[in-house]
Amino acid sequence: MTRDERLGTPPIESLSDTSWSRIERGVWAELDAQVPERPARRARRWWLAGGTLAAAAAIAAIVFGMRVNSGPLALVDEPSRVVSGTAPSAVLFGDVHITLDADTALVLNREASHPVVLIERGAAWFTVAPRAGRPEFIVRAGDASVRVVGTRFRVARLEELISVVVDHGVVDVQFRGAATAVGARQLWSSASPSHVTTIASAALPGPAPLSASPAHRTENASALPPATVPAPVTVPAPATPTLGPVPTPAPARRTPQHPARPHHPRPAAPLAAAPTDAPTTAITPAKPASHGDTDRVEYDRLAALEPVHPEAALNGYLALARGAGSWVEPALFAAARLAADRGDSRATKLLERYLLRWPSGANAADARRLLARLKETH
Amino acid sequence: MVDPVAIARERDLELAGRAASGERAAQRQVFLEQRAHVHRALYRILGSNREIEDLAQDAFVEIFRSLGSFRGNSSLGRWCQTIAVRIAYVTISRRRPPTVDLALVDDGLANDVDVRRTVQMREVARRLYAALDRIEPKQRIAFALAAIDGRPMAEVAQLTGSTMFAIKTRIWRARRELMRHAARDAVLSAYLQELSGGES
Repeated sequence: MTRDERLGTPPIESLSDTSWSRIERGVWAELDAQVPERPARRARRWWLAGGTLAAAAAIAAIVFGMRVNSGPLALVDEPSRVVSGTAPSAVLFGDVHITLDADTALVLNREASHPVVLIERGAAWFTVAPRAGRPEFIVRAGDASVRVVGTRFRVARLEELISVVVDHGVVDVQFRGAATAVGARQLWSSASPSHVTTIASAALPGPAPLSASPAHRTENASALPPATVPAPVTVPAPATPTLGPVPTPAPARRTPQHPARPHHPRPAAPLAAAPTDAPTTAITPAKPASHGDTDRVEYDRLAALEPVHPEAALNGYLALARGAGSWVEPALFAAARLAADRGDSRATKLLERYLLRWPSGANAADARRLLARLKETH
Repeated sequence: MVDPVAIARERDLELAGRAASGERAAQRQVFLEQRAHVHRALYRILGSNREIEDLAQDAFVEIFRSLGSFRGNSSLGRWCQTIAVRIAYVTISRRRPPTVDLALVDDGLANDVDVRRTVQMREVARRLYAALDRIEPKQRIAFALAAIDGRPMAEVAQLTGSTMFAIKTRIWRARRELMRHAARDAVLSAYLQELSGGES
């Protein structure tokens, strides 16, 4: 090898933001598992010093007929970390009223004067006063960022799956470089980031009633999973007809039995439904649904259902796989993958059936790896 | 006279103190500032990202558990890398990590004029780490950090908690072992010559 042919140092391949997000979440989960969760130190100090003020704020909320009709209401400074226990709770962060679902963790901070909330896990409703020249309010969850000028909305996070539901007003959701405007009574999910679903008012999940004591477990709170989303009642078509399904949420970590996420073709066109940066007021228009769109929406629904009700999601995938069209292949693979995750005895047969039908399919390599792993363990 | 080293040390101590007390915002700051350093150390030792997610998580959990013992004798970055190196050592001591795969050249690279060089680099890296899998972990770590990553011996000694003499010995033994494995591999042999500064 001559001097001109020197190769130099092997390059270091960087990790994706999603990987780092997974690592970070895993770190906090491990640390939280060792120490009972509690608000950050400064917030705790504030509670000691400002208990009277918090009580006064709670009383004022009742008197003036705010949505918080019972339960503790705390003002928090920043940076703070707020963790709800087995019951929902509420905090005031500046002029933003936040109602946390049970088992939710938020970090409240300020970035260049913008109030910013990071959702580590769980879900919360945010009631934001019109900004009227004040810095916009930002909520981050995984790779999604929600910018707000004045509205009421809910953001939920379960692993890498993010959903945003807007009660009134408009929010601008930025996700992996694409921006989507989500308006009143609309649902956005990272399972289908370029797609906005209209939902009925009755389907909007209201804030869970606050208990008088944070330790008190109310029936409603325990019945409300942190990241459940309302069932869609209308089915708009995707903005881009070639858009494939977005992979199901990535496994948290230490899950070598999981195959890589199903591979689906990405659209050549940008996914953005609205311009980036500035908050927009345009709502993604709904289009009539075709058969393929219906399958796609069903696939997305099952992907969102998977972390909450895996058995129902598995049956749904199997039903979708019995149909026809381009969604049979990802649905059959998703069913096989989920069955393998759950230790279901059907996993091997499903994988073999997948490989028989699509030996060169988009998920064939993953299916072979998973099948080999299953055979190793048996 | 403002001493930038002293200022950095004070800042590291203050940040570590807040993070050690459980302040999540400080912990996030440590995580965001140090993740690239931790990743670099782990990647150089292991040769791929295959196990990095798990190891980086383990490293940061260990970092946050141990932050209370940070005294500012080195920079916070160096201190975090020391833990990352220890995590990597434990891992490769317990089991041999798989060798890196030969990656496909993506479309962007296929049009690159340096594509041949890129492919050659990847193949050499694959062979190098396959050979490193067969040598003693301490020798591997010293060689990866000093010979591959180009860190000074003193820094490697600090990261591994060893003496300079021990590091030099390990690198020499690692190189000898690698050359033995590369006896019938002209490509790897030439690359090892390059790493040691010689020419074939």
